[in-house]
Amino acid sequence: MPELTVAVAKGRMQDETLELLARSGVSVSGSALKSRRLAIEDESGAYRFVFVKPSDVPVYVEHGIADCGVVGRDVLLESAADLLQPLDLRIGFCRIAVATHAGQSRPVTGALRVATKYPQIAAAHFGARGVPVEIIELSGSVELAPVLGLADCIVDLVETGRTLSENGLEVVEVIAESSARLVVNRASYQLKPTAVSRLIEALSRGLRKGVAG
Amino acid sequence: MIEPLSKIPGGMRYYFGAEARLRRGVEDTIMAVFDGWSYEEITTPCVDYLALFERGMGYEAAHRAFRFTDGDGLMLALRPDVTSSVARAAATLFAEKTRPLRFCYASPVFHQRQLTHAEWRRENKQLGCELIGVGGRGAEAETLSVAAEILAALNLGGDYRITINSVEIFSGISEHLTLDDAERERMRQLVDTRDAAELQKFLSHFDTTERERISFSRLTQLSGKGEILDEARRIITNPRSLVALDELESLWRIVRALGLDEVCDIDLGDVSGLDYYTGLTFKIYVAGAGARVGGGGRYDNLTANFGRAEPAVGFVLDLDALTDVLMRKKGVATSDETVGANVRALHDKAAIEPSEILVDARVRRARGERVLINYAG
Repeated sequence: MPELTVAVAKGRMQDETLELLARSGVSVSGSALKSRRLAIEDESGAYRFVFVKPSDVPVYVEHGIADCGVVGRDVLLESAADLLQPLDLRIGFCRIAVATHAGQSRPVTGALRVATKYPQIAAAHFGARGVPVEIIELSGSVELAPVLGLADCIVDLVETGRTLSENGLEVVEVIAESSARLVVNRASYQLKPTAVSRLIEALSRGLRKGVAG
Repeated sequence: MIEPLSKIPGGMRYYFGAEARLRRGVEDTIMAVFDGWSYEEITTPCVDYLALFERGMGYEAAHRAFRFTDGDGLMLALRPDVTSSVARAAATLFAEKTRPLRFCYASPVFHQRQLTHAEWRRENKQLGCELIGVGGRGAEAETLSVAAEILAALNLGGDYRITINSVEIFSGISEHLTLDDAERERMRQLVDTRDAAELQKFLSHFDTTERERISFSRLTQLSGKGEILDEARRIITNPRSLVALDELESLWRIVRALGLDEVCDIDLGDVSGLDYYTGLTFKIYVAGAGARVGGGGRYDNLTANFGRAEPAVGFVLDLDALTDVLMRKKGVATSDETVGANVRALHDKAAIEPSEILVDARVRRARGERVLINYAG
């Protein structure tokens, strides 16, 4: 019986997460990964990993179905989940930024139309500046919105900025820096303190090795 | 759009059958323990002035309540908390009574907005107790003993943990750093979410050395038994926090003497909770519940709002969260239809008048038997 269930965000951070875990002495066999099972155990049997959509990681952990999770800070800011965040895993770096057409100025009056996959972050950002906004929530290809005239600007993740420049957009403001975080359920942290601190210590070791290598 | 009448508001639900019986049983068990420690039941108004809760719980928490206006324009709230109202009663209705006062209650509380995504309900039944008019570690240990007895009585003996801390440790540090309210709240969040890396960054904006920053961020991870207090003393030097550490140590000595150190942990990173706590705070976690099932602490300033400052300590348990855990543990969800073993079914034979059946039923009831009249035949 695994001691901890760990929810890992699928997609852009999954490989980096598994590499970090391997460096930390927690490895998952290649054949288990190749299978299409969504829940697999590590080789020691101490951990069960479940691979879910990034935005679902805080959901599983907040409800205590997973004890821990690995997910980007961007997702955590958007979800406002009540979780412990003991470790910055220093992988999956990106920025959450406001981008718009090169040279476009913001309307002085009236609401700014903002297309985004991050409605909470966008609303909080412009709200703090007193800018009235109309948030247009999209689930993908956000860069298209200003190109087609659906929005004045976008709030989105920027890794290299290539997609932006290819669509004639540029970053006008960085809202937050993001990287992957280890998150822990509040009850698991208290009820399984030994297992949780063992994982935190292993990952801290893995992080130091990463810096040294 | 017209909403169908069949719709139930989010966070509201029914209880029935086995679950309702279990819930009632849990409530009775808990109230019996309170009674065993001489806590008197009190029922507070379900509707009260919002201002009471703003003063009691703090602005943020009070404004999660369902709010509406009274005929005279004053803001009312559907009770989001019982403690505020009990504190008022202690300072007013019970002002002349001999101290200490011991109150307990089983009352639904309501929140328009949930605290977290996992705590889905907007109506929770709180079972709580308050010990008013006595300070010191003895009173605190009394409430911890009551809580531990309740959890043992619910057969959760090996499955729970009580974490204890003092808000004064954090307050001492933030006072030492001369933080304003917004900064204090930011630091509280970082400690509360155990975000050591961000906490170090945050502290670099203030007059701190690198060494202080690293050791303060250790605080977020300091949890364990009595020995962590020694480590905390090496990190913390301000007098206010040191007094709190001494108090926590005296409490821990009692906890150990009572044999409760197995189920209790000191957790200096636990700084979440209501504004009204002034010293000890504790949280109760049970295996099988993703969020805490209860908590409490010392609130020495609350009754001062009503003109009579006195020490007080208390805690609440969430009946619904506990019922969920016990329900899953027992797996009795399927037995909704059973009405018990000692039922005497009284069959309605055509030849017998309904009055005869009811006469028989009343005789059996008078003997304390359980009856079930079948009108189907």
